[in-house]
Amino acid sequence: MSAASVSHDAHGAYALAASQAAATQGLWVEVQQDRPMRVHARLHCPPGELLALVGRSGAGKTSLLRILAGLLRPSEGHVAVDGQVWSDTQAGIHLPPQQRRVGLMFQHYALMPHLSALDNVALALLHLPRAQRLAQARQWLDRVQLTREQQARRPAALSGGQQQRVALARALARAPRLLLLDEPFSAVDQMLRQDLYRTLADVRADLHIPIVLVTHDLQEARHLADTLAVMDGGEVLQQGSPARLYRSPRNARVADLLGVQNRFQGVWLGPCEDQPGMGWLGWLADDSDADAPVRRLRVPDKGRIPAGQRVSWIIQADGLHLLDAPVAPGNPSVLCAQVAELRYLGDLSLATLTLTEVPGTRLRLTLAGAQRTGLKQGQRLCVRLDPDWVHVMPTRRP
Amino acid sequence: MDWQALTLSLELATATLLVLLPVGLWLGRWLAYRQFAGKVLIEAAVVLPLVLPPTVLGYYLLVGLGGASPIGRWAQETWGVALTFNFLGLLIASIVFNIPFIVQPIQRAFESIDPRLIEAAHVSGLGTWSTLWRVELPLAWPGILSACILTFVHTLGEFGVVLMMGGNIPGETKTIAIAIYDRVQAFDLENANRMAGLLFLLSLVAVAASFVATARLTRARGERQS
Repeated sequence: MSAASVSHDAHGAYALAASQAAATQGLWVEVQQDRPMRVHARLHCPPGELLALVGRSGAGKTSLLRILAGLLRPSEGHVAVDGQVWSDTQAGIHLPPQQRRVGLMFQHYALMPHLSALDNVALALLHLPRAQRLAQARQWLDRVQLTREQQARRPAALSGGQQQRVALARALARAPRLLLLDEPFSAVDQMLRQDLYRTLADVRADLHIPIVLVTHDLQEARHLADTLAVMDGGEVLQQGSPARLYRSPRNARVADLLGVQNRFQGVWLGPCEDQPGMGWLGWLADDSDADAPVRRLRVPDKGRIPAGQRVSWIIQADGLHLLDAPVAPGNPSVLCAQVAELRYLGDLSLATLTLTEVPGTRLRLTLAGAQRTGLKQGQRLCVRLDPDWVHVMPTRRP
Repeated sequence: MDWQALTLSLELATATLLVLLPVGLWLGRWLAYRQFAGKVLIEAAVVLPLVLPPTVLGYYLLVGLGGASPIGRWAQETWGVALTFNFLGLLIASIVFNIPFIVQPIQRAFESIDPRLIEAAHVSGLGTWSTLWRVELPLAWPGILSACILTFVHTLGEFGVVLMMGGNIPGETKTIAIAIYDRVQAFDLENANRMAGLLFLLSLVAVAASFVATARLTRARGERQS
């Protein structure tokens, strides 16, 4: 604690200290590194929350994870967990992984092939006497539901899902203050993933530590994470809750990396004179280079974009409504469309619509229940766009 | 059968191994993990004794360590020992000559360890020594074992370097290989035959044992770690 927090008012000092303690809880990391691998990140993950690093391979996710584990020394940066500094290049601090109380689940588990599952977990408990070590290792393996007979086997004699459980138990055995998961689900099938998601949810509820997950599977990231951090070219482009990121990605690249479906080109036309807080978005057909918008949409205006600026814009499925009856023409937020493709995905159907007024542009919708019954390929229909769900991002012209 | 020569050979092989094993472990592991400019030169120097004719190596050792050489003189004046034509001279020659046999298999063994296993050990809280003891050595064990067997057997059978450096002094430098040559020169083929047969069998059994041990360890570890 700094000297500045010392106060004559005892109660005030306590409150200040408490708020400082709360502010330092969880993981705080800031890294600026250009060599040997570019990593620029500034992240926070509170205890009990799961932060997912997403991005394509080579985006720097694993490098960042290795910096957190202490396996890589950043050229410039600061890593702290619960107020304890693990790495601070300015102060010359770099704790080795052994002193970090960090649990790391490796991508292909990296289990010791010459040791049984039990000994693999016990290896992380070497600070304890042997009997106690084995007892605790057994407890962890019981907890991830490995039978006693399986616990005695070597990794090569265990299935992929069982190896995964051993790896998780080993990562948790040292009672870490930070849990790191590097693509932990990549090598097992969908059924086993569901099992492990559940185990992970239990662990999260019990441990109350920050968890950082590296994954390229966006569905998994959305499913598990409280916070997503989108990485590209070694840089964290945006961090936020999945809902916020999907609704308002910072730029077109983030939208791309998140796999946002309905992304279109446009031009910003300026504020609406008759309605403060709203502005006109000109919709540009995807397959034309012309600057003339084929359609004008009235959308919320934050006053940040100059008129005439080329933009990229997205609309989330929440803002798209299929209409039963055709609506009188002229309503600026209603679009006429035709069903180009209908794909059946079990509980859901994926519909691709071509828009009559915006040639070459496709709108994708997931439909469920009554909405999809009776829908046929080639059918003509109308879609209402809820302008509140439109998010506009400026783009640089290529 | 020259039992004295056999005993001397076994003593020489054991002493060589005792000196070379720690050196080989350190050097082999260092070469396996480190990348640096000039590494190729060190690797070439390690292999050199393998390709040099034994008489050439023996000749340089004899000239370099003999009583007239600076090193030989220094050893004589400081410690009062000669470095040639005695057991110590044989040991030095045998150590130099066996460097590739111990270093290379150990280097390959450490190179074949998945580096993520070592990282996993570090993250699990293991320091350098516990990682070496509990992860690296158990995984590199087959390679280390065959390095030891190769070195031992190779020392038993060495002839050229030993003859150049040690001559043929019974009980001091007359190893079993020299004894066989000695017997053949004396037309005592019966004894030469016995000793040659023994050396042959010993070598065969040792190499076979190292193969069996390696195959067993690899199999026990499963197909995943190849």
